[in-house]
Amino acid sequence: MDITLDDHHQDLGRVARHLFETRSPLTTVRQLEESDRGYDPDLWHEMAGLDWLGLAVPEGQGGPGGSLLDLVALYREMGRTLVPSPHLGTAVIAADVLARSGSRHELLASIMAGTSIVTPALLEPDGAWGPDAVTLPARRTLDGFALRGTKLLVPYAHVASQFLVTARTAAPPDGVTLFVVDAADARVEKLPNIAGMPLFAVSFDVELGPESVLGAVDQGWQLLSPALDRAGVLRGAEVVGAGEKLLDLSVDYAHQRKQFGRPIGQFQAVQYLCTDIAIATHLTDLFVRQAAWRLDQGLPARREVALAKGYASRAAQVVVHRAHEVHAGVAFMLESDVQLYTRRAKHWELDLGDARYHDEVVAAGLELAG
Amino acid sequence: MEFTFTAEENAFRKEVQAFLDAELPPDKAFDHEFNEAQDLWDFAFDFTRKVGEKGWIGLTWPVEYGGLGRSLTERLILAEEFAYRDAPLVNVIGYGLAAGTLLAGGTDEQKKRFLPGIARFDQFWAEGLTEPDSGSDLASLTTRAERDGSDWIVNGQKTYTTWGHHADVMYLAARTNPDAPRHAGISIFCLDLKAKGVHMTPLYNLGGGRQNHTFFDDVRVPADMMLGEEGLGWSYIMNAFYHSGGAAAHHCELQRILDELLEYCRHTTRGGVLLIKDPLVRSQLAELEYMIEGERLLAYEAVSNVTTGRPPMFGGALGVVVIKENMPVFAQIANRIVGPLAQLKTGSRWAPIDGNPEAWYRQSYANHAGGTSQVKRMVLATRGLGLPR
Repeated sequence: MDITLDDHHQDLGRVARHLFETRSPLTTVRQLEESDRGYDPDLWHEMAGLDWLGLAVPEGQGGPGGSLLDLVALYREMGRTLVPSPHLGTAVIAADVLARSGSRHELLASIMAGTSIVTPALLEPDGAWGPDAVTLPARRTLDGFALRGTKLLVPYAHVASQFLVTARTAAPPDGVTLFVVDAADARVEKLPNIAGMPLFAVSFDVELGPESVLGAVDQGWQLLSPALDRAGVLRGAEVVGAGEKLLDLSVDYAHQRKQFGRPIGQFQAVQYLCTDIAIATHLTDLFVRQAAWRLDQGLPARREVALAKGYASRAAQVVVHRAHEVHAGVAFMLESDVQLYTRRAKHWELDLGDARYHDEVVAAGLELAG
Repeated sequence: MEFTFTAEENAFRKEVQAFLDAELPPDKAFDHEFNEAQDLWDFAFDFTRKVGEKGWIGLTWPVEYGGLGRSLTERLILAEEFAYRDAPLVNVIGYGLAAGTLLAGGTDEQKKRFLPGIARFDQFWAEGLTEPDSGSDLASLTTRAERDGSDWIVNGQKTYTTWGHHADVMYLAARTNPDAPRHAGISIFCLDLKAKGVHMTPLYNLGGGRQNHTFFDDVRVPADMMLGEEGLGWSYIMNAFYHSGGAAAHHCELQRILDELLEYCRHTTRGGVLLIKDPLVRSQLAELEYMIEGERLLAYEAVSNVTTGRPPMFGGALGVVVIKENMPVFAQIANRIVGPLAQLKTGSRWAPIDGNPEAWYRQSYANHAGGTSQVKRMVLATRGLGLPR
């Protein structure tokens, strides 16, 4: 029993922090929020050169064969620096699904090379999550499928070369099929959102050949689900990184800001707020590391993943809320860096299953236990 | 990094479980902290001696001092299994605070004289730290010990002396040098509670147990009953608290409650709905699971840090804050799940889960023991995060 971080995870984290802080400081993050593209292609290619676009793709599939815990180290720093990129959708979810599908090797290779961006299009207009929430129909045609409907909150749809789309091909249970759809066959509509991220509505009305199916028909969720588990854990790792940064900002501010003739950090009310950030962040860290370790070991981790993302969704709000209370009026001004985290954390909280969704997974596990 | 136990450790867990299966009657609630029934105390004493015979009280201590020299991870496993079964292992002040003090600061002679007896449970130790005017600010304590030949003479008062009326000796913190800075003038004694001049009056608590005021009126303590060095008492207390925290398993106490609740929810219908199918109840059960798992991971991390020789993070205070603040919240949610009948006490045939939810709630306010969450938050903020005092 030693649940402390290994040295090489700490080393990877240091490398990532240095790269992101120098190449994507918060001033750059602000500029990218306002830009059409939404991310920095130069940094993206640099990440490709470091083998970070497909870091956990097995060696047999042309990847470096890293672990999910390696990705956790990377994502903590992404959360800390808020570096915007399509990484989670294409280099984690799509890359993982493609690698496990055992097909489309050239597409996986071009994701890892940074030349293709394959974006998952999963959530539907009612906002529900999970296999049963997939209703977008893929009707069988003579020689394939007709896909018709709209997906929401699709990240980086404007720069995607392909979409990875969940569609209903039969009634639940099962009955979800994964399709790879060319971006040219979809209509995209930008969605203004709190996080300042490139998020889109993506509409399909297209006839697809059987080669568009990834994996087996009606078995798409089984192929997708492990990738979503990994992505959920990594959202949690971003919350950890952001929480650590907000703790640094809040403690620094509590030292510098003087009212009533002393640093506000001497007031226990302010100390409580800072300790709340430390507790929520550290517990998220432990939940995330446990889930990632279990996934890396190939152990059942449904409960641990749900605990990690469910807790992280709550923690995302706790760390932001307390940082606002410490900084008060200052953090409400757009010139404050705190509000950058406030806005992004809302996306992390709600993405890949919100707390309500993961609570139900936890509860279902308790119902069956014992 | 590994979130798992070795095969040897799992085998030890099995051994502990088999021992508890053999020694604990299945239908008996012990609750020794909050129950004054004599038959339960008799059982607790017998049980604790049997644990001593296994060598498990001093599991991690060096062999030459009556221990088995086993790992802290094994102590965690022992603590987990005992906590889950509510096994009535008494004398935590002896095997925790007193032994911790001796291991940290005792001379070889002291360790050989005291530790084997603690490992066998020869004597029952009471806690003698808190005073009426020294609770959170423990270093302000005024009970004094003055040297007189080969004895120290103790005068003053302790309070909230848990288990005092059952105990043989007291782990006493007293001021031996009134002129030293307040943290530097404190020493630790093993005080015989049957000595002339010791007087106790009862305090009955909300949990259903008895604590005590303890008064000292010219009580003579032989000089060789001082533990560790004169004037270093404060550091021993702090150190022992950290070490006893290293193998705490509070999460398993909560796990026991959750499992009782789950059993109840699987078989109880309210308003025509099976509780386990009620979406609000499911959400509340999940809430409890987050608390348990968080505490479990903090306990594993604490053991990992000690085992790998890393300093405790966050001033060693973060985990304690979480546990202390969870306690009442956990009990309140458990009560909400049970509903209006959660107010019924053990003894009524209408009381759900034999009235346990009512007791869980009352007893949850014992979360001040070992220091309030406010004090631990202060430690976390200043020592852990570096905020100004």
